[in-house]
Amino acid sequence: MLTDLLQYLVNGLIVGALIALPALGLTLIFSVLGFVNFSVAAQLTAGGYAGWLANTTLKLSLVPVLIIAFLVAGALGVVTDRIALAPIRRKPSARTPLMVAVVSIALNMALENACRFSFGSGLNSFDMPIARDMKVGGIRIGLQQLHNLEIAIGLAVLLALFFSLTKLGKAMRAVADNVDLARLKGIEPVRLANLATFIGMGLAGVGGALLAIDTSVDPSTGSRLILLIFAGSVVGGLTSLPGAVAGALLMGVIGELGLLVLPPAYQSLTAFVAILITLLARPSGIFSGASGVRK
Amino acid sequence: MTTLSASAICGGYATADFIVKGVDITIAPKDLAVIIGPNGAGKSTFLKLLAGLLPKRTGDVSIDGTALPAGDAHAACERGVSFVPQERNVFGSLSVQENLEMGGYLLRSGLKSRIEEQLNRFPMLRGRLREKAGNLSGGQRQVLAVAVALMTNPSVLLLDEPTAGLSPAAAKEIFVLIRDLAASGLAILMVEQNALLALEYGTRGVVLVAGKKVRDDAAASMIEDDEIRHLFLGRAAPAAPHRH
Repeated sequence: MLTDLLQYLVNGLIVGALIALPALGLTLIFSVLGFVNFSVAAQLTAGGYAGWLANTTLKLSLVPVLIIAFLVAGALGVVTDRIALAPIRRKPSARTPLMVAVVSIALNMALENACRFSFGSGLNSFDMPIARDMKVGGIRIGLQQLHNLEIAIGLAVLLALFFSLTKLGKAMRAVADNVDLARLKGIEPVRLANLATFIGMGLAGVGGALLAIDTSVDPSTGSRLILLIFAGSVVGGLTSLPGAVAGALLMGVIGELGLLVLPPAYQSLTAFVAILITLLARPSGIFSGASGVRK
Repeated sequence: MTTLSASAICGGYATADFIVKGVDITIAPKDLAVIIGPNGAGKSTFLKLLAGLLPKRTGDVSIDGTALPAGDAHAACERGVSFVPQERNVFGSLSVQENLEMGGYLLRSGLKSRIEEQLNRFPMLRGRLREKAGNLSGGQRQVLAVAVALMTNPSVLLLDEPTAGLSPAAAKEIFVLIRDLAASGLAILMVEQNALLALEYGTRGVVLVAGKKVRDDAAASMIEDDEIRHLFLGRAAPAAPHRH
């Protein structure tokens, strides 16, 4: 029983690591631009497809595949943001963040269907050697899954260093803190918003590629995960980068442990319950106040 | 030596009618001009229009004869105009050091020496470099806001209620600081509720009423003026005790 519990825990951490990257992207974009961009799900899928194409047609290995997934999802994120979301943001009102979030859902559907139109609805797998699972004290851990965990944590650390050590990272935090004051200091919020979108969507793309390497990619890959990603970000406080990682890991673990008492069909229920409990008990998120974009 | 000139400035918020209605002003080096007037006169809005924070503006703002585009805070900052808003005038979630760095965002070199310069000017900041700006006291925050505004070595400083919420002692310290900055060659335009004290430290007084400039005169003569004292400085003129 204890071994089963530990196995679910490890599985949960691995699922959480995969959704941590898009959750970081969602958090970053919310912090700098002030709205929830649900099209992060479509960029996750786009990253998965970009990685799959790079691997199966160009025969590229893991690192270049991830770089391509990052660049494609990041660039697509910026282009679609400029076309569909930025025009709404330019008409500021009390309802603008809600309107932009709603349009981002429509954008997500449009991109998902563009993937379906381009690649069909089937599952697409990477052409990479499958490593044998490790067994530690009766607990099975896939090597690729372990790599995924390492990459997710590594990218989160890199992002944290970017925000605390670089001029652009600090300027992004300044924009997230007070956009008018940032303008007064000569900081250009639009340029930084584009950069935040590029990095945020790029991270989602890397998450999509890692997920696709672990399983496969199809047009609905991102949409199936968006609730978990959103829940991870909300639980993490929506503006905290470590909070997003911790929230995503927590969601992964809760989702897997839920399988002990619930059939798999109800797994997504845990995300709803987590959002509900978090918002009722601590509306600003469990990890709000932790260091991040808005420290 | 830089001079800011504004002529026939009209403007306001995007959703409202013009709040400022045709104001002219020229601020030269060593000027410490204090804008006074009743609530809703458009004093803060006028500063925001000069700083490029509000997009809706007609009239001309220029620095040494070169026009500044409307609603372009970046261009204003690049041309040497630095604005300290009344509220939220520091990045609360950033450290004191990071606030100073953001103040010097446009500097291509010499950031460290500029920070060192501000720390020498405001020694109380030196021991608080790692502290979050949001945790500072009101007076410390104002000092930091001014230090951040001075990072780019501006020639024109716009201050919106720099002593709001401060104790009388802290307010006096801020006024002394502002007077010294003006004496060092900066052109300063300041909106201040504590009008009498501000005029005592200032060189000029500008009265705005309902978005229009109704008076622009030397600060000393403003203080002596019965009507101004009665209407805007919160004190009856000494020669008119019968007003009780």
